[in-house]
Amino acid sequence: MKKGLYEFMDYLPFLKEIIKRDFKKKYYNSILGVAWTILSPLLMMAVMTLIFSTLFSRSIENYPVYWLSGNMLYGFLFSGSDGIMNCISANASLVKKKRIPKYIFCIATITQQTITMFFSTITFIVVSLLTGVRFGPFILLIPLPIIMTYVFTLGLGMFLCAYGTFFKDLHYLYSVIRRLFMYLTPIMYPITIIPENYRFLWELNPLCVYITIFRDLSLYNTLPSEKMLIVGTIYSLLMLGLGIVTFKEKEDRFFLYI
Amino acid sequence: MARTIITRQKNDICVELKDVSIMFNLSKNKEDSLRDYFINLAKGKLHYSEFWALRNISFQVKRGDSLALIGRNGSGKSTLLKTIAGVIPPTRGTVKVNGSLAPLIEINGGFDRSLSARDNIFLAGAMHGHTRKYMERHFDEIVEFAEVGKFIDFPLKKFSSGMASRLGFAVATCVSPDILIADEVLSVGDTRFRAKCTKRIEEMISNGAAVLFVSHNAAQVKKICKTAIWLEKGKIIEEGPSAEVCDHYAEFMKSAPVKVDRKPVVVDTDDEDEE
Repeated sequence: MKKGLYEFMDYLPFLKEIIKRDFKKKYYNSILGVAWTILSPLLMMAVMTLIFSTLFSRSIENYPVYWLSGNMLYGFLFSGSDGIMNCISANASLVKKKRIPKYIFCIATITQQTITMFFSTITFIVVSLLTGVRFGPFILLIPLPIIMTYVFTLGLGMFLCAYGTFFKDLHYLYSVIRRLFMYLTPIMYPITIIPENYRFLWELNPLCVYITIFRDLSLYNTLPSEKMLIVGTIYSLLMLGLGIVTFKEKEDRFFLYI
Repeated sequence: MARTIITRQKNDICVELKDVSIMFNLSKNKEDSLRDYFINLAKGKLHYSEFWALRNISFQVKRGDSLALIGRNGSGKSTLLKTIAGVIPPTRGTVKVNGSLAPLIEINGGFDRSLSARDNIFLAGAMHGHTRKYMERHFDEIVEFAEVGKFIDFPLKKFSSGMASRLGFAVATCVSPDILIADEVLSVGDTRFRAKCTKRIEEMISNGAAVLFVSHNAAQVKKICKTAIWLEKGKIIEEGPSAEVCDHYAEFMKSAPVKVDRKPVVVDTDDEDEE
């Protein structure tokens, strides 16, 4: 454990350089650059509001921020895990050169997604205030569901990376799953449209749990139920554990496939 | 699987291999997609054949030593270097690396072609464990040695292969590593730059660095390295003073019949050494 920490400290400069590089590459050749991270969800929000706000007007008071809050956690979880899944193949030239702790690339990827998430959160707060949402003291707790999603995403990403490095087409399969979860999670619709006796199925979906906690704390200004908090924490920790164990087991064979 | 052990002890031994063997599972049907995997699984064709790329290799490299690895294509030279660099874990045996290590294995590898040379220098430096501050101090020296001059802020994809490899060599050697691993690095660049690189390597050796060197150029090997190991099919055939080993190897190559070998002997997915 202690040795691992020393090793991590040794590679901290490397981690910083990788994050810098990824940031540069992402916005290379784009005029608006970082502004796209904020603009594209806002434009999408306008479209979704146009289509669905009347349909769900009885159960969702403020549709734009309802959608925005769900979509940002959805984007964080899926873009993050997808990015981590590909991070070893994407950095093949570095991985093949020298022994570097491979999880460094996973952390670099999730850090970049966290920066995006930070901007999304600010956008969310600004749009909420502009559309007349009155936040209470619980808004200060919103880092909690974000941290839960972070931990879950890192674990899921590492798990997928362990297999995605061997099977390149897992990436395509995952984009289908990603689309599926867009509809299986109450992002654009209220959970109340699901009949009571089937709702437990939705609570099995970790993303749904995190979004519920997030909305409770921000939009509805209430403490989430204890059950949600406990279930959310368990999902995160289990996924991280599974991810790390799988990754550690497979990482020595990555070099054969990149 | 064992891993390469990296230490920072204050003794003379830089690299130590004890009874190292490396085995690859060669699958007859290449499957790196889920589709192929399940098709082969359904057909019951998930067969693997064992391939020993290296067998029972033991040697030591001390501070100030220079060791050349010679042998035919596919004899395991690159695999051996990659094992020392920690990229390929040994199947059996132990590999100990003591000190900082700069691998020049794929000279253009490790660079990001869409980034500028400047960014690449810092990235490569960070990979070798150096902070940005340290790299800033050595920056001018690297740029000067690589002779990239005004192209320093150009993306690397605009560089000629010679320029890129000059940069690779400069980054790896300017940070004075304890161990330099050089795989066919002197086969690139023009004669003048080659002479400069040779001089730099000789300087490093006299300063106490250990050098592991792969080349098909016997004259180079004799000039740079004191000792040499001749590998054939993953085994050590001969070990000794470089001039002697090189001559025996040359004799063997002359007498060996030229035939087309249809069995897969090269395991490295990457470029093996080419002459």
